[in-house]
Amino acid sequence: MNAAWIQDPNLLAAALSAGAPLAAFALIMLLTRPHPRLSAGISITAIAVSLAGALFLLARNGSMTAPIQVTGRWLVSGEIHIPFGFLLDPLSLLMLAIVATISFLVQVYSLGYMAGDPGFSRYYGCQSLFAWAMLTLSISPTMIQLYIFWELVGLASYLLIGFWYEKFSASEAGKKAFVMTRLGDIAFFLGLLIVLLQFGNLNILDMNGPEVAERLSPGLITLSAVLIFGGVVGKSAQFPLLTWLPDAMEGPTPVSALLHSATMVAAGVYMFARIFPFFSLSPEAMSLFLAIGTITMLLSSTMAMVTRDIKQVWAYSTISQLGFMVMGLAAGGYAAGVFHLTTHAGFKALLFLCSGVFIHHYETNDMFVIGRRGGRGLLIPMICMSLAAAALSGLPPLSGFFSKEAIMGVLADHPNPIWLAAGLLGAFLTAYYTFRLIFIILRPNAREAAHADGHSTHAGHHGAGLYGLMAAPLIVLAAVTLGLGFFETPLAAFLTRAATRAAGHHAWLLFVAVGLALAGTGLAWLEFGRRGAAQVGFVERVPALRALFAQRWYLDHLYRLLLDRVIYGLFSNLFTRNDRRVIDGAIDGLCKATVGGGRLLAFMQSGMLQYNLMVIFGVLAVVGLGFLFFG
Amino acid sequence: MTPLQELVDPGLLAQAAFAVIVVFTFTGALIAVLPRNILYNVLGLILCLTGIAGLFLYLGSPFIALMELLIYVGAICISIVFAIMLSRPLHLSLPKRHLPKVLGAGAVALAVFGVLAIIIFRTPWHAAFVRGNDWSITSIGAYMLTRYSLVFEVMSVVLLVAILGAILITSTGGRRAP
Amino acid sequence: MNSLGTYLFIAAALFVIGVFGLLQRRSLIGMLIAIELMLNGASLNFMAFNRFLGPDPVIGQVYTLFIMGFAAAETAIALSIIIALFRRIRSINIEQARELRG
Repeated sequence: MNAAWIQDPNLLAAALSAGAPLAAFALIMLLTRPHPRLSAGISITAIAVSLAGALFLLARNGSMTAPIQVTGRWLVSGEIHIPFGFLLDPLSLLMLAIVATISFLVQVYSLGYMAGDPGFSRYYGCQSLFAWAMLTLSISPTMIQLYIFWELVGLASYLLIGFWYEKFSASEAGKKAFVMTRLGDIAFFLGLLIVLLQFGNLNILDMNGPEVAERLSPGLITLSAVLIFGGVVGKSAQFPLLTWLPDAMEGPTPVSALLHSATMVAAGVYMFARIFPFFSLSPEAMSLFLAIGTITMLLSSTMAMVTRDIKQVWAYSTISQLGFMVMGLAAGGYAAGVFHLTTHAGFKALLFLCSGVFIHHYETNDMFVIGRRGGRGLLIPMICMSLAAAALSGLPPLSGFFSKEAIMGVLADHPNPIWLAAGLLGAFLTAYYTFRLIFIILRPNAREAAHADGHSTHAGHHGAGLYGLMAAPLIVLAAVTLGLGFFETPLAAFLTRAATRAAGHHAWLLFVAVGLALAGTGLAWLEFGRRGAAQVGFVERVPALRALFAQRWYLDHLYRLLLDRVIYGLFSNLFTRNDRRVIDGAIDGLCKATVGGGRLLAFMQSGMLQYNLMVIFGVLAVVGLGFLFFG
Repeated sequence: MTPLQELVDPGLLAQAAFAVIVVFTFTGALIAVLPRNILYNVLGLILCLTGIAGLFLYLGSPFIALMELLIYVGAICISIVFAIMLSRPLHLSLPKRHLPKVLGAGAVALAVFGVLAIIIFRTPWHAAFVRGNDWSITSIGAYMLTRYSLVFEVMSVVLLVAILGAILITSTGGRRAP
Repeated sequence: MNSLGTYLFIAAALFVIGVFGLLQRRSLIGMLIAIELMLNGASLNFMAFNRFLGPDPVIGQVYTLFIMGFAAAETAIALSIIIALFRRIRSINIEQARELRG
């Protein structure tokens, strides 16, 4: 096997692309922390290596017929063998390429965005840690390995969200993200344990194989599928654990782009796709997932309609698009869901990076303020953002249009028309809130713009070099957004290994969907873009509705209430009492007994070394005699 | 002049010499332990160790006998003399014997000796089937650098650490002195 | 005279004299001397086994050499401890070194 490592280019590339960021992380954290430029260089080199490896693998295995799996023994306990290694199949290769690409672009972008930050090295260290965890997650051959790196991704995201830990809200947001995703992960882990105990191993290929249905009863499959889906709910911010994602925007914007749009939250959906055949064994569970995805999508779309924070809009839209992917997958559209994951990674990263330029430039998150200060003056980001927004809304001929159409097609095939209706409504809302933001920035209120002229002149105080560094990834991503849509058929063929159209083509659906998207755009134009528009959305005219949406349907309040009443009020209290009375008491008693015993025994300790020795030799003699005569 | 061999039987001579060496050894050992004056003890130790070197000669290893003289007599005893000079115990009053303690020590020592003697008697000693007869210093050196090289290295490190430790202990002890 | 038993007895006697000295001497240096006796008893044992029983006459000698090396190290440490102790309590009487008494 050792020789195979070196000789097989697949393995070498996989090992390199997964391992390089780890090496970079170790180097940065151990050695080069005082040298920010060097750290950034190391990190970017490592991720470039990963990117090269990923693209090489994708190109080399573009027409692969069977998955390549290489594992080494890692943990053996009784009957259970848990290997560690790589699994290369179309899905993991695709994910590897996505993650490496986005990570690379974001790291280049961060050179500009994070320039001068005191924690520059730490930032790149965490980025490398994240890249390593995420890349290895993508090519995990077992659910256990996937779970380990899943948690590592969670750790990296915690570190990056709370990157500006001096800021109270940032460290709170980091904690919130960590704890809420952990809730889902507990369920995930329980689900894995059920499968492990009943099925005996957690190899992804085996779990997707036909034996599962024979070895596990349908009820058990549903139970474990629902539990495992808990991980998806936590990580991909599905209902009801969706409120951590908007708060996670406290981190630096590139982090939001990387973690909370394109890759980390996509890990949940990726995992769904990873063991998609396993989930498909349980129609009940799939219906539940479909419902969860739908609720998530609609709830977060409404939230996005009222917020003023530019990043929050994208955060909500991310949640909503993730819900959309879950819908697609749960309705049986494997290729459609993964395709949307791919395109979404591209245009959502683009959206975040564009907003990052605005935020960096104007030092505010408020879209109205950005608009007033002349946000449209920044040409490249503005154009790129409009492009990505159109893709998000599903307007042709951008990538989002194709992937959304694919999911819509799957939904239309579903016997229950409610899901299609919900999906179409979601598309309408998406177009509305997306272009609300675009128009607010593009066409600021004339009178407010006038008195804000002073600001626009002093904008642009940052170096042109930094701007260039930030703009380059934007252009790359914009190109991806433009072009990726046309690869739908080859991609679907690559994923399913057979050139089958995932769903029947519904010509009418195309027009309805695009029509609704255009309607949403039009409504946004009417309310925000039109000359002399009031820039007040139709939702904001109803105070109750506005409060409901702005407060995120009072989900956070509910959680806070639960936390205060149930956790703090009941359990914490009980545990505190238990700690004070029982445990502390017992430990104190033990301590006192030990101290007292020591005092007593200390009388025996005369400090007379020779008597001790005498006893030792005496005992030696006696023991020797004993062995001689009785042994 | 007749050679000694013709006057006395060489075997008898060897035996007599062996007895003298053993007597030296035990006398030295007892002097090393019994008198209360520490300087006599060191001299007794030197006598005893010289006797042991002689025993090593009888056991067929002149090299080890030489090393015994060199390391024990030459180095260790001298450093003990240095320690005596540095800590000046000769100026202090001689510690009195404490009879129960001496008796107890004697009893325990006798018990240990008894056990050892019984073990020596009762164990059926078997020689190894194949026995080499290469006693040369050359092969000792070869073994030290091949098969026992690790032990050799470890011993070197131990000695180094001992030297450093000795320096450290004495120096901090001096700083702490009131 | 030239038998294994003789040497083993001599070695045991040396060892036991060492034990006796170790147990009854009050002076630390006296105890150190007694320990040297015990060590020599042990190396004599090794040499005797080597002479009469061992398969390869080199091994016992190598062991004895190692014992000597460790004895040297031990002496160095012990003497430095004795000197440090002397500076502290102005005595090398073991019965006065009882600060660790409970």
